[in-house]
Amino acid sequence: MDELLHVGRSIPRKDGPIKATGRAKYTVDVALPGMLAGKVLRSPHPHARIVSIDTGKAARLPGVRAVVTAEDSLKIKHGFVETPRYPADQYPIAVDRVRHVGEDIAGVAAIDEETAEEALSLIEVEYELLPAVFDPEEAMRPDAPEIHPNNPKVDEPYRNIGGKTATSWGDTERAFAESYLVREDKFYCQMRAHGYMEPQATVAHFDYSGKLNVWTSSMGVFLKRAKLAKTLGIPHSSVRVLKTYVGGAFGGKIDLFHHEYIASLLSMKCHLPVKIVYSREEVFKAARPAQPLIVRIKTGVAKDGEILGQEIEAINDSGAYHGSGVVVIFLAWGFAMAPYRAPNLKYEGYSVYTNNLVRAPQRGHGAPKMRFAVESQFDMIAEELGMDPVEFRLRNVRKPGDILPNGDSVKKFGLSECIERVAERTDFRNRHEAGKRERETGATVKRGIGIGTTAYFGGSLIYPNSSSAIVKLNDDGSVSLLTGALDIGQGCETILCQIAAEELRMPVEEVQIYAADTETTPVDIGSWISGLTYVTGNAVKKAAGQAMEKLLAAAARELDADVEDLVARDKQIFVGHSPERKISYARAVAASIARDRGDSIIGEGHFRTMKDVPTHPSLASTKGRWTENYSSYAQVAEVEVDTETGAVKIVKVTTAHDCGFPVNPALVEGQIDGQVSMGQGHILSEELRVENGCVINPSFLEYKIPCSLEMVETDYIDVITEEYKRGHHYNTKEVGEGYVSGTVASVANAVFNATGVRMKKTPINPYDMLAELKRIRKEVS
Amino acid sequence: MKKPGKRLISLQINGMEYEVAVRSDRTLLELLREDLMLTGTKEGCDDGSCGSCTVLLDGSPVRSCLLLAVEAENREVTTIEGLAENEKLHPIQQAFVDHGAIQCGYCSPGMILTAKALLDENPAPSEQDILHAISGNFCRCTGYNKIVTAIRAASRNGKGGD
Repeated sequence: MDELLHVGRSIPRKDGPIKATGRAKYTVDVALPGMLAGKVLRSPHPHARIVSIDTGKAARLPGVRAVVTAEDSLKIKHGFVETPRYPADQYPIAVDRVRHVGEDIAGVAAIDEETAEEALSLIEVEYELLPAVFDPEEAMRPDAPEIHPNNPKVDEPYRNIGGKTATSWGDTERAFAESYLVREDKFYCQMRAHGYMEPQATVAHFDYSGKLNVWTSSMGVFLKRAKLAKTLGIPHSSVRVLKTYVGGAFGGKIDLFHHEYIASLLSMKCHLPVKIVYSREEVFKAARPAQPLIVRIKTGVAKDGEILGQEIEAINDSGAYHGSGVVVIFLAWGFAMAPYRAPNLKYEGYSVYTNNLVRAPQRGHGAPKMRFAVESQFDMIAEELGMDPVEFRLRNVRKPGDILPNGDSVKKFGLSECIERVAERTDFRNRHEAGKRERETGATVKRGIGIGTTAYFGGSLIYPNSSSAIVKLNDDGSVSLLTGALDIGQGCETILCQIAAEELRMPVEEVQIYAADTETTPVDIGSWISGLTYVTGNAVKKAAGQAMEKLLAAAARELDADVEDLVARDKQIFVGHSPERKISYARAVAASIARDRGDSIIGEGHFRTMKDVPTHPSLASTKGRWTENYSSYAQVAEVEVDTETGAVKIVKVTTAHDCGFPVNPALVEGQIDGQVSMGQGHILSEELRVENGCVINPSFLEYKIPCSLEMVETDYIDVITEEYKRGHHYNTKEVGEGYVSGTVASVANAVFNATGVRMKKTPINPYDMLAELKRIRKEVS
Repeated sequence: MKKPGKRLISLQINGMEYEVAVRSDRTLLELLREDLMLTGTKEGCDDGSCGSCTVLLDGSPVRSCLLLAVEAENREVTTIEGLAENEKLHPIQQAFVDHGAIQCGYCSPGMILTAKALLDENPAPSEQDILHAISGNFCRCTGYNKIVTAIRAASRNGKGGD
């Protein structure tokens, strides 16, 4: 195997300089001649019939160029999932009825934001208020107000069940009867915001050629094109979604957002560019937040800690429409069963309509909540059995080669090695014992340590299912890489350039990347199912490999040598045994064009996971293949709990991770650090507070994301289970989502270790912490 | 709704003299981004909490979303566009690139300017000094670890700086 030149190395990201100098153009920076400011009128009510809308005064206001309501639309519904069981359930602009506060009712385009805002205030809407329901368990009751009376009934007689996932294997009743210990616990995870720094933003320009050009802060341009084309009733070829830099997404910018549709509709009406940028308050109050989850788990174990059976119920408050709710109840099953064996298992997940905001996925999409519940209960069981939490996990962890109940193989699964290595690095066993002793001491600040683990999927089948790439050799021997991938900050452009440069044995700097334009770049799976490096990476590898083959063939002819004897380096091709015989890439390109009647050198590559599998697994039954590469992690958190203030400080998080082969280790570290921070917000401080369906803390002053003063020290242990070999598949696994889970779970377990307080609800805020400490003290005395 | 009238003000931005007519209710952020197309300065919250819009006013970091443009009259404003000299990045910018301190990049302009103000004032800051200096600049991507590494590398402690 040739030495690797670029892959596996921590090269700085390619877009670093343009971002550091402020020249990177984000959607909020797009400005076009004649551009109008767009604004959206939103429902102030959680559930109401729209009796009438009068836009006359708004339309007559000087400076207003267009006003749209549902009457200007084709009234085509869409959904994050659109299947026969879960048909599209949401209009992109409300028709007759609103089901949550903030639902989009009308749009206005005007010469400036102030005029647009004034126009909004002139739109007269008459509502007839309807009974609303906000708690998912209340909404399930047979007598709850029905939010979608005409939707297919998923689970009668319960009301408002938008989706249900049910699966089982073995016999849980018998398993519990044979168990030494059975525990049943219920856990609650809050509703969180994504906290992307760039607000939702879109510029739409329907030009005079009949093309809708769209710049939008997103996570993948092809999905946006498909959904805009469908809801606007125009061909895909009439919609072009173009690249802009993206100021963070974390799951919150997938799917069609209605301001994208409204900006497009406004522009189609007035033929001028329309820009809609959310205020931060609007982001908090109307954009899709993440999925809250209630998890009930019953687990039976043998005396030696072996898990014999588990029953799990997950209830998701999906908000007023499906959003990703019907997906998160499927995924929550996967995150429950993938890392550890459970020979008997029964799972039921419910996605329940309420009159709350619609949800989006958020980094981990259910994993942080499910792992918080499972891993908290693991430690409770281990404590009761008198077992060390590490031993309990090692007793049950899946081993390399295990076949999951859905038929997936975990292949070279590194979780047991991750657990052992993170325990060793942190001296976990000794410090866990020391933590238990902290509970007994009179110290005000108590120190504890905890562990949390995860397994995660990567690049599953969901539209657009695959990625393609094109690699063009230029006349000077440099390369242009065309990919539909959209870099949302994770660094995919850099990684794809590394791969192309590796396969073409040339400097990374000589690879220019042209990305994320639905018109000029090939289809891409998107930056949102943890598969970009794997799926798009392999497409780029194939495209570059094909270009290299053509280049070598041209060189072989010119050098009168066999292709097998050629060696490529630094844009030169040599005959291996007589290196004085050589040709530059530039001349090889010219030779190909001259001798092959104009054939320039272009390579194309395509990649899709699970080629033998027609489609994604069943969201209802979990049947079908899910993914072909499971990543895994074990994380250990060290915390300090101030028993006087109830404040929890995360001192350090150590991560042992199996992400396959790290193409760019520095970028992997960046992903880990970011997820530790996001997990910190989840477990300690972030919560969207809602009253009657309205978010009441809509600013960063009241919704507290971690700041630098709370920075957590991080440490990493690479557990590399997959070697990359040139010319072979490159087995990368997920790296951008799963770590949130381990952080959340390990902190909860560390808090228990230090204080004996078991929090079953996140976030662990000082108020609740103090109350629990007080309760425990009372119990003791 | 009657809009306030415009005022003619002079100010220096990135070493250049500007004379602009600006409405008295416009923020410095709006002047920079919308009137002068200096879009490197970012808006993240509009209430002063996130720090994305940080610029330097006579060398000190300020939130340009909380400052009226007319308040910058006869003062010197430095935005992210004013740091690099031609194509050569400022050492702090280079350190951010080299040490993985940039992911989505949206907070980077404000963060880099805050770091510049810190290092101008204190060329050899401790980690605590750095954490305090950037505590008003949110970053959602990095967890701050690599930002602190970058600032330290650009400081005299990291053999960077003057």
